[in-house]
Amino acid sequence: MKQNVYRVPNKSIQNIKAITLDVLAWAYMALVSYKIIYEKIIIDERYPEFSWNQPLYSLYAGIVIAALLFFSKLSLGRGMFGLIKYDENESPTSQAFAYIGYLLILLTFIAGFYVSQISLKEFLSESGLEGAKRIFKALFNPNWSIFEEGLFAAIETIYMAFIATAVAIPIAFVLGFFAARNLMNENALAFTFYNLLRAFLNISRSIEPLVWAIIFSVWVGIGPFSGMLALCIHSIASLTKQYSEQIESIDDGPIEAITATGAHPIQVVWFGVVPQIVLPYLSYTIYRWDINVRMATIIGLVGGGGIGNLLMQYQGQARWNEVGMLVILIAAIVWTMDWASSKLREALK
Amino acid sequence: MLEIKGLEKVYPNGHHALKNVSFSVPQGEFLVVIGLSGSGKSTMLRCINRLHDPTGGKVDFNNVDTTKLKGAALRKIRSEIGMIFQHFNLIPRKTVMENVLSGNLSRTGIVASIFGIHSDETKALARKYIEIVGLKGKERNRADNLSGGQQQRVAIARALMQNPKILLADEPVASLDPATSHSVMQYLKKVNEELGVTVICNLHFLSLVRQYAHRVVALKGGKLIYDGKPLEINEEWFKTIYGEEAVEVTIN
Repeated sequence: MKQNVYRVPNKSIQNIKAITLDVLAWAYMALVSYKIIYEKIIIDERYPEFSWNQPLYSLYAGIVIAALLFFSKLSLGRGMFGLIKYDENESPTSQAFAYIGYLLILLTFIAGFYVSQISLKEFLSESGLEGAKRIFKALFNPNWSIFEEGLFAAIETIYMAFIATAVAIPIAFVLGFFAARNLMNENALAFTFYNLLRAFLNISRSIEPLVWAIIFSVWVGIGPFSGMLALCIHSIASLTKQYSEQIESIDDGPIEAITATGAHPIQVVWFGVVPQIVLPYLSYTIYRWDINVRMATIIGLVGGGGIGNLLMQYQGQARWNEVGMLVILIAAIVWTMDWASSKLREALK
Repeated sequence: MLEIKGLEKVYPNGHHALKNVSFSVPQGEFLVVIGLSGSGKSTMLRCINRLHDPTGGKVDFNNVDTTKLKGAALRKIRSEIGMIFQHFNLIPRKTVMENVLSGNLSRTGIVASIFGIHSDETKALARKYIEIVGLKGKERNRADNLSGGQQQRVAIARALMQNPKILLADEPVASLDPATSHSVMQYLKKVNEELGVTVICNLHFLSLVRQYAHRVVALKGGKLIYDGKPLEINEEWFKTIYGEEAVEVTIN
């Protein structure tokens, strides 16, 4: 195994990072203060105008404030990157720069409150409460006559999730080795492949299964197949990442020992790596199935088949008693899967 | 049979671990390498079977320079050099038998080894080596359920399975208690004397060195500073090797 290369962090790079963080933080605070605190709260404008000059001026303001405060104790960036010296006995959370961080969080909280349009008035309005009462009443009076229909749809969902997981396992198993840094840093070619694979996985993981389901429902048509494909893509990306992280955290000892016997690299992986990862792999895979069942219900909402599809239909017709039945079924499935998977994973420890 | 000439190792982080180390090891010798932690002992052993790549110098093993070998030729040389480790490095969750058989991987086909197919002679050989290290009857036990000393003996059997000409032992007793240490050292001695395997062993305890070594080399800061008989290490040499502050600790 190659030794890790330890690089001493470069001080000027740390300083550049720190000043960038400072500028961005102050620009953000300036923009939020102007748009939310000033326009919305102080002068209470209903439809404040937006122009791209506003973030630009905020950035200028950010640069000025950051430059003024960079060498004082109030520089958040220098504090975060460990460039401000303080008494080791004091905790970093009580330092001056930390208060700039608290201010940032406070402003974000206020802004979030306004952006989310939180309104107790609407939450407690009479007509609103009336509507809520109607829905809850219907939900608690489920229509048992569609139990059979719902059950078949639920079974479809569970099988769909199972197949999506099962198809993803062998692909993720193989890709996992290629996405593990400790196996791929032997030469430049392997390391390039590792980086490409990592980038591909990150992109496909950052696209929600819901979006994949929409893509596939156009591609292969509405139904369980498109839902299964969507879950499968997402599972491959997630499992590969979890598998490879497991490989990265294994003990190097057995690998060294098997290498020393003169074994072929494939044998080194099979005997030095695989026995160390089998149990965690099983655990991750069961958990992924559990997650897939839950996701499959949601994916049904956009045409991925199964119980989600049915739920969407009844909800569209405002047939709340039927929706109530389906909600109970979904809750039962999710609860059962959750319980079963945690028991299974516990037994594997 | 082993000749190390001007061995150099500089790690990518700039640490100069071995500086111009030269010595030779004749067939059948029990050579012990001593020195403080970080003096380069482990690095040196790993340069011999190329778990680490030396950055300069030569390692001649039976007149073949191993430092330039690649692929199949490198694996062939490795198969002739057994190695045991401080933390045993057995395959977890596998039986003693499977672990010992893994010593034969270089002579087993990839597919056959993955499906665990071994010839009867190979299995008989594995059982013989398990008996030699005193673990008869434990073949089907899981190796990671054994005690430390027993695990190290499984590791010795695995190394013997390679039919090695030389056995490298990297601090083989450093994580064992004193009584078990002696037992493991006895087995190494037996391997050396009865099977004629050359042994190169890193050790910490001088008392063990005096008892088992034919010859001692000492490393300090990556340089070879002593090469001689174990009993010739007097107080003065001891201080040179381990530093002025050091006090000798013995285990009996």
